[in-house]
Amino acid sequence: MAVIELKNVQKIYGKGAAEVKALKNINFTANKGEVVLIMGPSGAGKSTFLTIAGSLQKPTSGEVLINGQNIAHLTTKQSNHLRLNQIGFVLQAYNLVPFLTVKEQFELVDRVKKQGNIDQATLTKLLKQLGITALVNKYPGELSGGQQQRVAIARALYANPEILLADEPTASLDSKNVDEVGQLFKNLAKNYDKAVLLVTHDPRLEQYADHIYEMMDGEMTQTK
Amino acid sequence: MFLAIKEIKREKLRYGLIVLMIFLISYLIFILSSLSIGLASENTQALESWDAQAVVLNKNANVSMNQSVLTKSDLKNATIGKNEALVGQTAVVVKNKKRPQISAQFIGLKKNQFIYHAQEIIAGRKAKTKQEVVADQTFKIKGYKLGDKLALNGSKKKYMIVGFAKNAKINIAPIVYGSLNSWKTLRQGMPDMQASAIISRNSNYKYHHADSKTYPIKTFINKLPGYTAQNMTFELMIGFLFVISLIIIAVFMYILTMQKMHNFAVMRAQGIPSGTLVNATVSQAVILVVVGVVIGLAAMLLTAKALPAAVPMSFTPAIMLSGAGGMLLTGIIGSLIPIRSILKVDPAKAIGE
Repeated sequence: MAVIELKNVQKIYGKGAAEVKALKNINFTANKGEVVLIMGPSGAGKSTFLTIAGSLQKPTSGEVLINGQNIAHLTTKQSNHLRLNQIGFVLQAYNLVPFLTVKEQFELVDRVKKQGNIDQATLTKLLKQLGITALVNKYPGELSGGQQQRVAIARALYANPEILLADEPTASLDSKNVDEVGQLFKNLAKNYDKAVLLVTHDPRLEQYADHIYEMMDGEMTQTK
Repeated sequence: MFLAIKEIKREKLRYGLIVLMIFLISYLIFILSSLSIGLASENTQALESWDAQAVVLNKNANVSMNQSVLTKSDLKNATIGKNEALVGQTAVVVKNKKRPQISAQFIGLKKNQFIYHAQEIIAGRKAKTKQEVVADQTFKIKGYKLGDKLALNGSKKKYMIVGFAKNAKINIAPIVYGSLNSWKTLRQGMPDMQASAIISRNSNYKYHHADSKTYPIKTFINKLPGYTAQNMTFELMIGFLFVISLIIIAVFMYILTMQKMHNFAVMRAQGIPSGTLVNATVSQAVILVVVGVVIGLAAMLLTAKALPAAVPMSFTPAIMLSGAGGMLLTGIIGSLIPIRSILKVDPAKAIGE
């Protein structure tokens, strides 16, 4: 069964003459262990797709299924709970709490989600794998863009979600780091059995994807 | 609380400035409250030590004991029991060659009445003859000694200090307690005048006479020259300070919240419940107010120790509790103002939607 599925999803902003169709009849599926790329130019609807797939906003019509459960009509509290437990976000920038050290970012998750987080041994292994073990006592402001991105990945995985959504994860990285991050997402999908959805316009990530979807003017087409 | 403490620790300068503002406001509130209560107390100290509940004055005296004269005929039907005392009051200028000149109130008493016994002597003894007086401790602080001879209003007749008393001030002026006969001499009024007032410890005491009127103690105190105006001024200043502190805390918390909206959106996107964010904001305000007020209290205690005894400040636990409680309440109310914005934060903003 697909871990995340969108069926005939539409998102319309505004009314009348100001109406904008951001998503037009989107059908999408992703499974655990896969890296899926959603590509397209700015304004194509990638970010809207991400917010709807991640339960940050509701579609105008259609169904969004997470493990078979339609999340399109969840209450704010239920959406919060879903994001906390099943969806991990890696956002483009400033996605770490600036006044918490790396270690405290995980502590915050522990405080709001008492059970189901990854254990200490797995975290240690993950930090080592991400090359950020030595950074645990540093604040986000003391880290480079690449280091912040890795910490954000670790933080997103700490709550042990089934789905990892990343928004332009390579936006601030050079080619060498893009390759590292691409490989890392591929490994995470395989080794940790996650569905990894990467919203990007960076073609350098294509080689790491199991499936690729192209977005243009709110419409989505599978190209791989 | 976790987020609140971590943020304060990380942003020491920013939150330090807010604490500084709260400290300055609370310090000002404590100082003004202490001064207000200290001055109010100096107006009514003697009346409180007498436990006065009702005052009978000449009805044409405009509720002023200094202006009042009760004659023999005014008092002919008055019942003077164990809870009543005749009192004569007049303003005097106290002079002694070796000591500073002091403006005071002379209070003439009868030895067999309760106010004479209610004097709180801290040195020496009570006056027994017409030539003896007991002076408020202000005289002692200003260098007067037991045995000093005083000229009152430039009189040739001298009065000897035989004791010093505490809580002996009325309308901010120190009292010189003497005999009612001495008062008659100093007052130099009508030949048949007996006293300025009847003071009663009984709140139900009433004396009806053509020229006399009985006033409850509250009415009498409120009519003390300048008393009501002074208290209202202080109350207004303290009230405004509370309102100002509420606005400052609310504005600071609102600005800080607005600056942190992106962080809140990120945390909401990550599934952090809005209750956690609201809790962090309110507990942050509580921490800032508590730290500011505690520093304010400490500064107030140091100030109270450093100020000379002549400054009429009364620093009591009631002031500490009401000032600190008031500040805490305004802090919490102030921190609640940006709550709506936190609850309405759109997690989609975290990714620029």
